[in-house]
Amino acid sequence: MILVMNIIELKGITKTYHIGDMAVDVLKGVDLSVETGELLAIMGESGGGKSTLMNIIGFLDSPSGGAYHFEDQDASHLTDNQLAHIRNQKIGFVFQQFNLLPRLSALDNVSLPLVYRGVERSQRTEIASEMLKRVGMADRMTHRPPELSGGQQQRVAIARALSGKPTIILADEPTGALDSQVSQEIMEIFLKLNQDQKITTVMVTHDPKVGQQCRRTVRMSDGRLAEV
Amino acid sequence: MMPFAEIVREALSSQAAAKQRTILALIGIVIGIGSVIALVTVGQMVQLTSLQQFQQMGTNIITVQRGWGDKGGGNAKQQGPSQHMTWGDAEDLKANVSGLEMVAPYTSTWGQPLYTDRPLDMPVMGVTRSFADINKLEVLKGRFISDLDGYSFFGVLGAGAAQKLAKLGVADPVGKTVFFKKRGFKIVGVLKRTAEGGMRPYEINPGMMIPVRTSYLFKRERNVNEIMARLAPNADRHLVIKAVKRYFKQRHPGMLTQVRSAEQLIAEMAKQSQLFTLLLGAIGSISLLVGGIGVMNVMLVAVTERRKEIGIRRALGAEQIDIQAQFLVESVILCLAGGLIGIALGVGAAYVLSKVNGWIFFVSGWGLALGVGVSSAIGVFFGYFPARQASRLNPILALRDE
Ligand SMILES: Nc1ncnc2c1ncn2[C@@H]1O[C@H](COP(=O)(O)OP(=O)(O)OP(=O)(O)O)[C@@H](O)[C@H]1O
Ligand SMILES: [Mg+2]
Repeated sequence: MILVMNIIELKGITKTYHIGDMAVDVLKGVDLSVETGELLAIMGESGGGKSTLMNIIGFLDSPSGGAYHFEDQDASHLTDNQLAHIRNQKIGFVFQQFNLLPRLSALDNVSLPLVYRGVERSQRTEIASEMLKRVGMADRMTHRPPELSGGQQQRVAIARALSGKPTIILADEPTGALDSQVSQEIMEIFLKLNQDQKITTVMVTHDPKVGQQCRRTVRMSDGRLAEV
Repeated sequence: MMPFAEIVREALSSQAAAKQRTILALIGIVIGIGSVIALVTVGQMVQLTSLQQFQQMGTNIITVQRGWGDKGGGNAKQQGPSQHMTWGDAEDLKANVSGLEMVAPYTSTWGQPLYTDRPLDMPVMGVTRSFADINKLEVLKGRFISDLDGYSFFGVLGAGAAQKLAKLGVADPVGKTVFFKKRGFKIVGVLKRTAEGGMRPYEINPGMMIPVRTSYLFKRERNVNEIMARLAPNADRHLVIKAVKRYFKQRHPGMLTQVRSAEQLIAEMAKQSQLFTLLLGAIGSISLLVGGIGVMNVMLVAVTERRKEIGIRRALGAEQIDIQAQFLVESVILCLAGGLIGIALGVGAAYVLSKVNGWIFFVSGWGLALGVGVSSAIGVFFGYFPARQASRLNPILALRDE
């Protein structure tokens, strides 16, 4: 196994949106390194470009300029299929709005990344139920998202992010839609995953209490990142 | 890429959430495929029926009937009762027209035959021995009408008529008595089922045949319904037909005579099935077009409604082709469902048509395969654009959808 020191290396990442004739520079040169096993919080004002950055890190979006190295490999000039492949193999997303498929059971939701990997059904079910156990949802496997509380849905979403055994978990305001007590429960899952299994996690949050629990916090302002 | 079985499983589960709109769109497919299947099946049935009929009877048969309408000049009253083909016409026909080997006139008699007091609803025909020869009728039990039967009250039942009696509990009708016009007819024979259509009178299977002389006991005129004739082996069909027409023109100057040959009938049947083909083909293609556009609309709406789902799947690693395949398979499944219902309806319609027209009912695997193929093709064709649109959505924008 190759030991990768920095999973993520961003240098001078820029992102410009063009709305009609107007160019909006959302990211103005972001530098960021994320080490293996890190738990990083990104904070900053609303509209500052945190989600934009997360999408670039997660291969959902591409930067307008700058250099992105993922696991020491240049991540520019990838085809759409290669991007999909990396998202499937390396990235585990957790969203503020959970983003589960309402028609599928918790188990099938968690299995979904494995479906796109071509893993066969029995094996998928095995992995997915293991992940659901890990987030304390063993007794809700056949429930569909509408039958679950917000906190429960976010646990399922975390299980889904874990099921593909990703290199990194990217969580964009994972507690943003939850009340403070449930927020703390979810936060504890992330902390435990990071401590016990050394799962690298980058998390966007507005909640200082959440930010304090992360080992490292960066702040986004005026399209740039600064260590706190 | 995702395995195909998975794509189908997912597609099926999202179809389970079908909406009214979906069902409406399917009606077009159902009607379209139904028409196509009915069309193909009817064509094949007509072909098979006429083939079998001509195989049995041969193509050297002509039928002579009084034509309808008149050639201008003279009206129905002036024509009077003698403007019918008569028994005498039939008797003299062979002697006056060369090239005829055998002549079989028959009569139809209105009335309700009864068994005990149960109405049988069967046509009754007066026939001669030659009727069985020309129509190649086969006796299942007993015997056919003989020319020695004279004015006797004997009857021979067609296969359908015998079945009717069987339903009334008469397992073997031979020797039983059927009442007709207040007279008891002793059943002397039962026929095997004959292929209907073509040159054969339709009454054979469902009817009762009695001696032609006996039938005249119930009629004022000695008219005949139709004369069937078999041509001599080397006779020129066209010359014979001309001679027959001339013969009747001499005997009944104002009467239209319709002489039909097997050849003509085959041409007529071809024309008829062509009309069917045209009609059903038109209905079929219009419905399929409408249905296809309906399915496309349903799929476009589905793509819009499920942008979020598409975004989520893309974030989890679905390639464009996965998304495209998912929506394409859904569209195909939708059309296939409509197609299968259409096939069932089309086969049903063909069955009804076969019963009404006396065709042999027959559904070919080829026709069914066509139905399945066409509906899948429509699914692919009209699903392609929505599916492609779905696959090209920007994942981030799709994810942002609420
Ligand atoms: N597709 C787009 N086209 C144009 N502008 C965009 C697009 N996506 C984002 N933006 C703009 O980029 C800026 C940053 O958005 P982003 O969602 O990254 O902010 P954020 O830091 O995540 O905010 P929040 O904390 O509210 O989630 C915003 O001003 C937004 O309007
Ligand atoms: Mg955001």
